[in-house]
Amino acid sequence: MAIPNIFRTGMSGMMASKTAVATTGHNISNANTEGYSRQRVQQETTTPQIGSGRNILGTGVQPARTERVNDEYLEKHIRNGVRDLSNFEEKDTALRQIEDIFNEMNGEGLNRLMSRFFNEFRKLSNEPDSEAVRQSVREASQAIVNDFHRLRNEVVEVRKHIDSRIEGYSKEINTATEEIRDLNIKIQQAEATGVSPNDLLDKRDKALKNLATYMDIAAHKDNKGHYSVDVRGVGPLVVGPNAEKFSVERTPADQDGKGENSVDLRTSASAHGNVTHGLKGGKLGALLEVRDQMLTTILDRLDTMAYSLSEAVNDVHAEGYTRTGQKGIAFFAPMSGKDRAAEFLQLSDDVKTNINNIATAAIPDAPGDNRIALAIAGLQDHRILNDGRANFDEFYNSIVSDVGVATQRNKAGISQQKDIMTQLNKMRDQISGVSIDEETANLLQFQQTYGASAKVIQVADEMLKTVLDLKR
Amino acid sequence: MRVTEGTNYDTIRDSIQRSRSRMENLQQQTATLKKLNTPSDDPVGSAKVLEVRTDRMNNDQFQMNAKLAETFLNNTDHALEELSNILVRAKEIAIGQASGARANDDTRLAVAEEVSQLYQQAVATANRRIGERYIFGGYKTNKPPLDNEGRYTGDNGHMMSEIAKGIFLSMNVPGIEVFNTNPQASEDARSEIYRNNTQGERQQNRTLASADESTPERSEAENVNLFQELQNLRIGLLSGDTGGIQNTLERFDQMHAKVVSERAKIGARVAGLQTTTQSLERHTITNAQLTSQLEDADMAQVVSDLAKEETVFRSSLQSSHKLIQPTLLDFLK
Repeated sequence: MAIPNIFRTGMSGMMASKTAVATTGHNISNANTEGYSRQRVQQETTTPQIGSGRNILGTGVQPARTERVNDEYLEKHIRNGVRDLSNFEEKDTALRQIEDIFNEMNGEGLNRLMSRFFNEFRKLSNEPDSEAVRQSVREASQAIVNDFHRLRNEVVEVRKHIDSRIEGYSKEINTATEEIRDLNIKIQQAEATGVSPNDLLDKRDKALKNLATYMDIAAHKDNKGHYSVDVRGVGPLVVGPNAEKFSVERTPADQDGKGENSVDLRTSASAHGNVTHGLKGGKLGALLEVRDQMLTTILDRLDTMAYSLSEAVNDVHAEGYTRTGQKGIAFFAPMSGKDRAAEFLQLSDDVKTNINNIATAAIPDAPGDNRIALAIAGLQDHRILNDGRANFDEFYNSIVSDVGVATQRNKAGISQQKDIMTQLNKMRDQISGVSIDEETANLLQFQQTYGASAKVIQVADEMLKTVLDLKR
Repeated sequence: MRVTEGTNYDTIRDSIQRSRSRMENLQQQTATLKKLNTPSDDPVGSAKVLEVRTDRMNNDQFQMNAKLAETFLNNTDHALEELSNILVRAKEIAIGQASGARANDDTRLAVAEEVSQLYQQAVATANRRIGERYIFGGYKTNKPPLDNEGRYTGDNGHMMSEIAKGIFLSMNVPGIEVFNTNPQASEDARSEIYRNNTQGERQQNRTLASADESTPERSEAENVNLFQELQNLRIGLLSGDTGGIQNTLERFDQMHAKVVSERAKIGARVAGLQTTTQSLERHTITNAQLTSQLEDADMAQVVSDLAKEETVFRSSLQSSHKLIQPTLLDFLK
C-alpha cells in the first residue's frame, strides 16, 4: 500500500463528508419548503485494492447517490385527501351562498310572506267590502311575487358565480397541467443520465397535489416509461411530454341538469370534447354537483311552487265575482307552464290596475259574500304539491331544510376531512419532513468525519515526511 | 415516532384555529342570543321554527277573526234584544186592546200611533249597521235589508269566519231567518229580490266554505212575519177589529219565541268562539315556548362554554410556547 493512496482515501472521506454536509444544508434550508422531501446521501466504499500479501485494502468512500426519503403510497393518499377536502370546501362556499338566500331565521322571507298572503285573504273574508283590506291583499300578493323573483334571481346569480369559477379553474388546471408536462420532460432527461432528480420529483408531486384539488386524477407510469396523469371518468390529461387543454363553452341546457347558458367543460383529448358530466371530485366536481343537481332542483321546486300557487289561486278566483260583478278574472297572470314560473309570476293586469277586480263573492251582487276569499285562504292547508303530499308551507320549508341539511352534512365532512388531512400530513412529515435537531446532529457528525479525514491526510503527510527524512 | 418542527408548528396552528372557530360560534350566539342563526345550525329545528312561525301568524289572524266575529254577533244580539222588547210591547198593547174592559175605539186609535212607532223602530233595528255594513242583509251588506213596506231585500248568506284552523263559524244572522218564524214558507222567500244561494254552491265548489245552519225547520207550519204582524196589529187597532187583534197575540208569542231562540243560538256561538279563542291563546304560549326552545341560545350554557373555551385557548397558547422548543442548535454554543 503506497502512502499516496492514503492521501486519496483521506480525500475521499473529506469529499464524501462535504457532500453530506451540503445535502444537510440543503435539507435545513428547505425545512419550510412545501412538498419538500428530506434527502439523504447514500455512501458506499470505493473499489478495494489488492494489497501485499493477502490483504485487500479499502480505498475510501464515495457518495453513491442522493435520494429523497418519500413514500409514494402516502403521497397518493394525500392527493386523494386534498381532493376530498377541496371538494368539501368548495361546496361549502357555494352552499353558504345558497343558505343565505333561504335564511330567514333573523328576517323576512318567503315563509313569512306566504303566511301574510293567506292571512290577508282571511282579513278580506272578514271585510270583503273594505277597500283598505283589498289594497293590502294586493300589496301582500305583490310582495310574494317579488320574493319569488328575488329567490330565483339570487339562485341564478349563484349559478353564474359558479360558472365563472369553473372558467377560472379550467385556466388554473391548464397551468398546472403544463407545469407537470414541463417537469416530465426535465425529469426524463435527468433520469436518462442516471441521476435521481429529487427536487424535480418533489415539484412534480406538489404540482400533482395541486391538480388533485380540482378533480379526481390518477398518476402512473405507462409501459413506455411515460409518466401520465389520467382524469378519472374522462381520460388522459398528461402523457409524458404531451398535455391536453381544458376549455369552457356556454351551451344550452341539457338532460343532466345543466342550466341554460351554463358552461360546459371540454378537453382537447376527448373525441366529442364535452366532459362536463364525467368530472367527479375536487373543486370542479363540487361546483358541478351544486350547479347541476342542487341548484337545478331548487329552481325546479321554486318554479313548481310559483306555478302551483298561481294555478290554485286562479282556479278559485275565477269561480268568484268581482265587485263589479265579473266572473272568471285571473288573480295571477296565467302562465303556460311551470318552466321558469318563479321568474314569470305576476299579478294579472286586472288585479294590478283595479283592486275591485279581486273576487271575494261566489254569487254576483253580494258584497258581503266572502266565500271566495275564504277558499283562497284555505289553500294554505291544501296539500297540492308533491302529488298531494305537501302544502305550500311544507313544500317551501323542505327546500330550506334540505339546503340546511346539505350544508350541515358538508360542514361535518370538512371537519372530518381536515382531521384526516392532519393525520396524513403528520405521517408524511414523519417520513419526509426535515427535523432541525436531526440535521444538526448529522451536521456535527459529518463535520467530525470531515475533520477526521483531514487528520488522515495529515498523518499520511507526516508518514511521508518520516520516510523522506530517512535519507538525511 | 419522528417528530419534526413542521409537525409541531402545524399542531399549534391547528389547535389555535379550532379553538378560535369554536369561540367564534359561541360569540355569535351571545351576540344574537340565538343558537339557530342559519338553517344548517339545525335543519330539522329550523324547518320546525318556520312551521311554528306560520302557525303563530295564522293564530294571530284567527284571534282577530274571532274578535271581529264576536263584535258582529254581539251587535246582532243587541239588535235582537231590541226587537224582542218591541214584540213584548206590541203584545202588551194587543192584550190590552183585545179585551173590551178598558179598551174602546179611542184608546185603540191612540195606541195605533205607538204601534206605528214600534214598526218604524223595528225597521230601523233591522237596518242596523256596523260601519258601512248592514248586519241583517246576509251577503247583501251594502243596502238596507228591509224596505219601508217591511219586505226583506237581503239574502240568506252566512258570512263564515275562520276562528281556528279549519273551524268556521257564521258571524251573522240573515234577516230572513229572524223576521220569519218559518222562512221557507214566508213571502220573503217567494219574492223575486230574495235569492236562496247557499244551496247548490257547495256542490259546485268544494273549497267554498258555506253555511250549514240554514236547515229547514217546521216547513209545513204557517209563517209569521214580524213586520207584517205589527202592521196587522196596527190595522186591527185602526179598524177596531178586536178579533184580528186577538189573533196577533198567538203570533207575537211565536215571533218572540223565534227571536229568543235566535239569541240563544248567537249566545252559543259566542261561547264557542270564546272557548276557541282561549285555546288559541294557550296554543300561542305553547308555540312561543317551542320556538324559544328551538332557536334561543341557553345563555348560561353559552357563557360558561365561552369561558371554558377561553381557558382551552389560553392553555393551547401556553403549550405552544412550550412546543416551540429550543433546538439542538441552542446547546451548541
